[in-house]
Amino acid sequence: MDVILEGLKLTIEFSIVTIILEVIFGLIFALMRLSKLSVLRGISTVYVEIFRSTPLLVQLFFIVLGLPAVLPVNDWFGQTTYPLVAAAVTIGLNEGAYVTEIIRAGILGVDRGQKEAAQSIGMTGFQTMRYIILPQAFKRMIPPLVNQAAQTIKDTSLLAPVGVIEMVYMAQTVISATYKAFQIWTVVAILYFIIIFTVSKVAAYLERRFQVDKR
Amino acid sequence: MINVENLHKSFGQLEVLKGVSNHINEKEVVVVIGPSGSGKSTFLRCLNGLETPTKGKIEIAGIELTHSKTKLHELRKNVGMVFQQFNLFKHLTIMDNITIGPRKVLKRSKEESEALARELLKKVGLSGKEESYPDELSGGQQQRVAIARALAMKPKVMLFDEPTSALDPEMVGEVLQVMKDLAREGMTMVVVTHEMGFAREVGDRVIFMDGGYIVEEGTPEEIFTAAKEERTKNFLSKIL
Repeated sequence: MDVILEGLKLTIEFSIVTIILEVIFGLIFALMRLSKLSVLRGISTVYVEIFRSTPLLVQLFFIVLGLPAVLPVNDWFGQTTYPLVAAAVTIGLNEGAYVTEIIRAGILGVDRGQKEAAQSIGMTGFQTMRYIILPQAFKRMIPPLVNQAAQTIKDTSLLAPVGVIEMVYMAQTVISATYKAFQIWTVVAILYFIIIFTVSKVAAYLERRFQVDKR
Repeated sequence: MINVENLHKSFGQLEVLKGVSNHINEKEVVVVIGPSGSGKSTFLRCLNGLETPTKGKIEIAGIELTHSKTKLHELRKNVGMVFQQFNLFKHLTIMDNITIGPRKVLKRSKEESEALARELLKKVGLSGKEESYPDELSGGQQQRVAIARALAMKPKVMLFDEPTSALDPEMVGEVLQVMKDLAREGMTMVVVTHEMGFAREVGDRVIFMDGGYIVEEGTPEEIFTAAKEERTKNFLSKIL
């Protein structure tokens, strides 16, 4: 049981890091997608399409296990760090593609008049985004972003096949020693349920608070 | 103050402005009237760069707006704009709506900006609404806040794009009153409106636009009682 809990801790840590990464990637690529420069728009579109049109597991195999075969990445990052960094970045990029679409839709959902009003008092494009558009867009983005966070937590279970240690990996180790497959997987499923259920509840609460304070 | 030369604007194939030239003096109140689709709103929006002219020249307070090196956000500090739909920042309180420009754009202190905001709210008759959100106010109140927000930037020119068109009839008066006060204080104003009473009473000059051209212009007296052009007479007979 201790071993499973150790795995749970790793799963949570890994999820937090990847969720932060995916929001950063999502924001950067969403802003590129909405840019005036067609080059930036193009890069962003290609990124989103590539990561949405291939399975995450394949992306993980490709980047975590495939790349070291052709590039000396293990020397750059170190034998033990590379798989961790690569796995986090891969999941971050994958989920980031979906976050890009969420943020883009959120920004486009803000009434055009808000942007014009901000410009008319002399705000730069950056100031308009920062003080007027993003705060309003963020509110609409909370529900889909929470869904994405829940998805991210579930997707970290795909790290076991590429050899990154987290809850599923630990569970497999315990099962191979004890043969108690049914009990162990039950525990793992319940633990996932508890984290993800908690996340959605906290988010629902946050969303309600936002509504009251800032109509 | 404002100089417009041969202004053209097209949206795709549709040419909305077909060569508009005009000169607006300091402290002048110019009222632009005309049927829908005449190009009057587009003309106004070109004046603060919300629309980019296809051709022509616009100069405001000595700065050429249509010059490629002109930073539009710098110019807009001098040009206040009031929209038909108010466009108050929905996520900010009334106080923040008014102070965000002075604080973030002009880099004034919080105290200074808030003092100015209180003064302006008093002027538009909305003291005590500082902590409200836009959705809690009526249309007329929102529009008065929008005027205060524009004034907080201490602009040299104020542009009004049909400021009373989205209001319930009983709220039109309160907004027009604020605009009249402003005109009396000597603000340079360009007002696109259907309020002929306002045009008559406050306007120094009335411009009649139709089909992308300035058809006729003159003092309110000249336009409303002695219009020369057939199209002007026709329009006025329908609206008065």
